[in-house]
Amino acid sequence: MKKYPSVRRLPKFEYVTPKTLKEAVDFLSKHDKAATPLAGGTDLLLNMKRRAVVPQYLVALKSIPDLDTIAYKEGQGLRIGALATIHAVETSPEVKHKYPILSQAASTLGSIQIRNLGTVVGNVCSALPSADMVPSLVALGAQVKIINGAGEKLVPVEDFITNVGKTVLAADELVEELQVPILPAHGGGTYIKYAQRGAKALGICNVATWIALDKDICTEVRICLGAVGQTPIRALQAESVLKGNAFTPETVKAAAQKASEEAQPRSSPLRGSAAYRKTTVGALTQRALLSSRAQIG
Amino acid sequence: MQDNDYRVVGKPVPRIDGKVKVTGTATFADDLFMPRMLHGKLLRSPYAHARIKNIDTRKAEKLPGVRAVITGKDFPGIVVGFMKQYADRPPIAFDKVRHYGEAVAAVAAEDEDTAEDALDLIEVTYEELPPVLSWEEALKEGAPLVHEHAKNNIGTTCQFEYGNVDEAFKTCDYVLEKKLATQRVAIGFIEPHAALAKVDGSGRVLFQGSKQSPYITWRHLAWGLGIPLDKIRIVNPYIGGAFSGKHEALDLDFCAVRLAQKTKRPVKIVVNQEDIIGTYRQRHEKHVWLKAGIKKDGTLVAMDCKYISDGGAYLSVAALNLYLFGLFNALPFRVPNVRYDATRVYTNLPVCGAVRGQSQVIAGYVFNAMIDMLAKDLGLDPLEVMRKNIVKQGETLPSGSKISSTGLEQAIEKVADIIGWKEKRANRVPNRGIGFACGAQISGCRMGGHFASSAIVKIGEDGTVQLIHGGTELGQGCDTVFAQMTAEILGVDFEDVQIEMEDSHDGILDSGMFGDRCTTWSGNAVIAAAEDVKSKLAEVAADMLEAKAEDLVFRDKKIFAKDTPDQAISFLRAVRNAYYGVGKSLYGSGSWSFPGAEIADFSQGYCEKFTPSFSFVAQAVEVEVDPETGKVTLLNSVAADDCGRPINPLLVEGQMDGGSAHMIGQALYEISLYNKKGVPLTGSMRTYKIPTALDVPKLTNYHVLVHDPLGPFGAKGAGETCTTAIMAAIRNAIEDAVGVRLVEPPFTPEKVFKALKAKKEGKK
Repeated sequence: MKKYPSVRRLPKFEYVTPKTLKEAVDFLSKHDKAATPLAGGTDLLLNMKRRAVVPQYLVALKSIPDLDTIAYKEGQGLRIGALATIHAVETSPEVKHKYPILSQAASTLGSIQIRNLGTVVGNVCSALPSADMVPSLVALGAQVKIINGAGEKLVPVEDFITNVGKTVLAADELVEELQVPILPAHGGGTYIKYAQRGAKALGICNVATWIALDKDICTEVRICLGAVGQTPIRALQAESVLKGNAFTPETVKAAAQKASEEAQPRSSPLRGSAAYRKTTVGALTQRALLSSRAQIG
Repeated sequence: MQDNDYRVVGKPVPRIDGKVKVTGTATFADDLFMPRMLHGKLLRSPYAHARIKNIDTRKAEKLPGVRAVITGKDFPGIVVGFMKQYADRPPIAFDKVRHYGEAVAAVAAEDEDTAEDALDLIEVTYEELPPVLSWEEALKEGAPLVHEHAKNNIGTTCQFEYGNVDEAFKTCDYVLEKKLATQRVAIGFIEPHAALAKVDGSGRVLFQGSKQSPYITWRHLAWGLGIPLDKIRIVNPYIGGAFSGKHEALDLDFCAVRLAQKTKRPVKIVVNQEDIIGTYRQRHEKHVWLKAGIKKDGTLVAMDCKYISDGGAYLSVAALNLYLFGLFNALPFRVPNVRYDATRVYTNLPVCGAVRGQSQVIAGYVFNAMIDMLAKDLGLDPLEVMRKNIVKQGETLPSGSKISSTGLEQAIEKVADIIGWKEKRANRVPNRGIGFACGAQISGCRMGGHFASSAIVKIGEDGTVQLIHGGTELGQGCDTVFAQMTAEILGVDFEDVQIEMEDSHDGILDSGMFGDRCTTWSGNAVIAAAEDVKSKLAEVAADMLEAKAEDLVFRDKKIFAKDTPDQAISFLRAVRNAYYGVGKSLYGSGSWSFPGAEIADFSQGYCEKFTPSFSFVAQAVEVEVDPETGKVTLLNSVAADDCGRPINPLLVEGQMDGGSAHMIGQALYEISLYNKKGVPLTGSMRTYKIPTALDVPKLTNYHVLVHDPLGPFGAKGAGETCTTAIMAAIRNAIEDAVGVRLVEPPFTPEKVFKALKAKKEGKK
């Protein structure tokens, strides 16, 4: 019998408060899919109201100390803990100074209320193609630190997300933090979110670029496209146009053209035709590259 | 009275309800709670069009905590509507569902979780029918019928002709034919629909809901429940916005009362925003085939307008909607020869009724766009063509109405000056452009049922004033404005006037909050009531002052004879003397209606006494178009309105800002989309894009002060006028900026981009 899919009150669940990551991982491995970790809850609770997921246990990470760390260390880089909110990353002086692209990307996500609740790690784990934090993290070469019963492992963000809403994370694993490497000097990065309105919007397409230059030669380049495929897409062909070559208006245009070809958007009545979205990927990649260049001086 | 004589009227005093609202102590419908109250939930149809074969409620009724389950059978054979001749809607679906999300059953239970669980246990057997999802399908020969009685799915029509259109076209120098269309949009009020009903042992119903026009709701409830009016008392709590989406009694309202009757306990039902955006009241999708003729010098001569609107499953106020579009054929511009042929089509989509600005918003869009295109084609300045053709004071429209006052000419002047129309057009910046448009709106009209507005003013023994009026405070600010009027007349401070929640037992409810009616109609009634109580107090004061009552002046909380202001007594002393000395209570009452007001014949058009006045607005918008993505950015908006005398300029500005933001939404972002089964694709705030504060440009507002002869203190309506011009101004600005002629909002980046591409390729 077909039913009207109403948004309902939260289903009944048990709220579990582990004191350590190990306790949390043990609980998850004991209960498999019946248990779900809860960080900011901005996606999870809505999915529960829609009955898309009905976990028996919510494992609250909030009861574990120090998971909201945002710390930069020379020689190591930046660590963003599982409970660091998007707003905290947006406004962190260290992030603004060392990784301005992350702060900028965070400022485009949802609304201030959502940014105050939602976490950067949660944004990555929800694995939506339009996730605002992901393209910049990929462009910066960030890694996900996963904890499980056997120990821990590091997975690059771009390999972590496998499909719409899917990651390599197993039901008995947790993400402890994101690690962003030290960046070489003479680098610059930009995130452009292109959406229907100025806030509370999912992108029509999103582009993050990060480049490093030695004089005019592009020594490093990473381009990541969001919202135009089942996962965020590394535009590798576009990168290869620039890598090791001179950064000129011509090469930038050629790279942007490649990025446009590499995008795989669907036609959507809400976000536009595939052809249009591909075109805008080109225009935005060009702008993002030029803006990244402008930061190098 | 001279302007500067007013002490309170015309001043930007803070809202009378400001403190309770910002401190979170204002009580809205969902805040209400009663002892033994049950929670109701509605079961909705997963189909857009289906026959209901059977509803089995037995399992749901057996669920512990469930107190009652009702279906369409609990409203046997009843259909309601905007007027008797347009009745087509059962309180909840009876034998058939006509749109996705239509309620088919309702449950009352001890708590919300149980009520939701009970919905899962109701077994509805549907026979799915092919849905009709567009006006084109609906009008096709042999299309499935939404209502068996409506042949070809035609719900209602309106035709008229003024002048001689065919002959007039022969005298034109240029004739342009264009098909324009505007999209179906949802209504974005913040407070969701909510209703609380209680029935006492005598059968008397107390209804408290989030209702915009409690009078309309009251009549609908009596009609839909089959009980007399006097058995229903409506007390309106604070309302969190309505925008014309909350006039009618809706499924939840009928069901809350029926469930309360059945269980003999209070029942509250609150609807999710997710249900409202996709499946409750919306604005019609409108298709307009327009032919317009003009002289070389820019004089408008004739218009031929064919119009089809897709309004979904039930008529609601469609007849008025068609009529108003026709009445506003070209207003505020003069077109002496007009032919109008309008059809409202049923489809299996949610119901379209009124939305802020009604048809006038879309008429304003269509005709301003057309005039802009005519001017551009002839190489004329669009603003000059608009200015040349605006209606003038004292002019009688072809439809019979008379323009009692207008400040539109000064408004145009002001806006053109501030936006820099001449300079900016002479010094163009690539991809930037300015659009101009003018709008108009009625100040209320008469509809079915009673139509006078009324008020009661009491002066308490402590000298404070209690005002009861029939209007409804929806957020638009009428309580503040009426308190200002009362204070002005009685010569007391604004802070001395108090207003309580609207109650059908205490006051006579106004016929409804629609068509910019409240300020003019209820305002005049408030003035009459204040004058009435003033004359009673004047009698008491006259004895004390040994003067004639008619010579007394009430000002600054004092009363004195006009020639001897130095021999004043205090207002409070006079009041105390009335209560403690003379033995007299101070009550005043008043009512007002537009003298000679007629109900328009909605199918024919002509009506001399339709509305007491028209208010006007001139608007310019500057835009920038990104040629690489097609994205339109609004740089600046300037508007000047003529709402007569603004009783509270701050509130009028609030209305203008809100009205602009509202229609920026329809111009650039909003559209209600449905899939091939009639299921909403934009049924949540996440997918349905209303503009955010970041998307609204700097809005600069001006008022042109005009004294309307019938207006309270010369005022006219203001809340909807400000919505009527900005859509066209945005469209016209896009054409001005990049030379593409778009006519179907929303002007999304992709639409603009495609038009730019087509233009480029056309040039090659």
